Amino acid sequence: MNAARPAEQLLWWLAAIPATMVIIVGFGFPLVQSLVASFTRDGVLTLANYELVYRLYRQDVVYTVMVAAAGLVLTFGIGIPLSGYLRLHHSQTAEFLLKVPLFVPFVVVGHAMRIFLAPRGTLLVFLHALGLVSQDTTLAISEGWIGLSIALAWKHLALVVLLLMGAFRGVGEEYLEAARGFGAGTFRQIWAVMVPMAAPSIGLAVVLSLTSMLASFSIPLMMTKGSGPQMLMIDLYHRYGQHGDFGTASAIGVVSYLLAAGAAYYYLKGVARQ
Amino acid sequence: MNATGPPAPSLRGRPRGLPALALRAALVAVLLAAIVGPLAGLVLWSVAERWHWPAVLPQQVGLKYWARITQGDLLAALTRGVAIASVTTVAALVAAIPVSYGAARARLPLGPVLLMLFLLPQAFPQLPVFASAAVLFYRWNLAGTYAGVVLIHLVGGLVYAVWTMTAVFRAIGEDIEEAAINLGASVTRTFFRISLPLALPGVVASSILVFIYSLDEFTGTLLVGAPYVTTLPVYMYTASLGYELQIASVTALVLMVPGVLLLVLMERFLRAEYLAFFGRL
Repeated sequence: MNAARPAEQLLWWLAAIPATMVIIVGFGFPLVQSLVASFTRDGVLTLANYELVYRLYRQDVVYTVMVAAAGLVLTFGIGIPLSGYLRLHHSQTAEFLLKVPLFVPFVVVGHAMRIFLAPRGTLLVFLHALGLVSQDTTLAISEGWIGLSIALAWKHLALVVLLLMGAFRGVGEEYLEAARGFGAGTFRQIWAVMVPMAAPSIGLAVVLSLTSMLASFSIPLMMTKGSGPQMLMIDLYHRYGQHGDFGTASAIGVVSYLLAAGAAYYYLKGVARQ
Repeated sequence: MNATGPPAPSLRGRPRGLPALALRAALVAVLLAAIVGPLAGLVLWSVAERWHWPAVLPQQVGLKYWARITQGDLLAALTRGVAIASVTTVAALVAAIPVSYGAARARLPLGPVLLMLFLLPQAFPQLPVFASAAVLFYRWNLAGTYAGVVLIHLVGGLVYAVWTMTAVFRAIGEDIEEAAINLGASVTRTFFRISLPLALPGVVASSILVFIYSLDEFTGTLLVGAPYVTTLPVYMYTASLGYELQIASVTALVLMVPGVLLLVLMERFLRAEYLAFFGRL
């Protein structure tokens, strides 16, 4: 490639400044500020914010990890067999349906799942209309971890299937043919051939979904109205909005950075490799 | 190319007998119920004018709440959101093109480092950073203003724009640009006369992506804009907080329109890497 002349190179650099400034002002600087704020109270360096997080929110840390783990198990428990099956038995209708949640914003998913899984929600309405449940049945999962993990899985399954289908299509047909030659059925072709060969992509998809679920805010905000254990981002929002306690809110934020950090490391590494 | 495409019919593992067909039909039926079910609930609530226990279906059905789209708060939130999304899209594209093109062509010596900077917002939880940004914006009198909301939307929008357009520019062959340069055109002239026109379809796809991102953005708007600058997602949250489930459901369905429209229209030529970005909305 011909090298740009110095004057032109300067021009490109200048043109790149506005975008860079937006990221620095709107993201980099706030990130650093929240780190600093988490270690200060009334202008003094202290660990008081973290003590408060430990005292008030340690159970919520566990709860958040648990909900994310349950969501992850659900997403991949369905996503891997489904993507594998669709790799072998192409179905345009199924693939189209699976893309729909990609285009449904998180807030909408939260609201839809809230009214779907409510004690007398639309899920029961439909089941009743089919004659599967009686009119007195109620469902108590919308506010708890089960409802949350179902909602998270519903939203994330689309992206996971998209990533896994791409990875599974990269598995050469000759390997699958060889497996079939030895009598492998659909199940064996998925578990013994596709999954091991697509392991790096599956890992990346796990990491992407995990960070997203740990940091999920709008879905739990729309779904949980009451008391009981909360997702960390809900705690952060209330600490910041209702208590005006930016220090402790930032400390919760730093805990969430740390939870996501391991995942983010693999994510950046994976993207850099591509 | 057989290895990357869907398997040809003759290579399918199973004989296409009745059980296999039944399994496929069952799979599609289950997916249909699981994916359309929760969304169908929204439709039901959006037309439920009166719905009291123990009635299984609404006692009174009508379009009373849908009429709210044409008036008042809902319409105001919608037009405000479209205006913000339009400004965000134009600003994001103009700002992102030099970064993407510079990085794709190695004209910016620190291109890879710069690209990493534009990945950061994807790697960190959004809420704590946006809460911190809101504190800064209060200090700078940007909180509760259109400028503040556009700025916070630009953070996310630029990430989408830079990454999709870097891929687009990389896909354009360098040899055609070199030909122009060898014929005496400057790098800048080559960019405007050769590369940008070739990249136009990708630029359009990228701008649709940014537009929908901005229209659907919730967290940043809630923290920086509310209560003075509310867009549809924030409006929906407020309605749901006040147990106005019908209004919230109408808003939710309106919010889904651009995305579903795009899914149906662009199903065939929307590339998988763009689709992957939608998963983060």
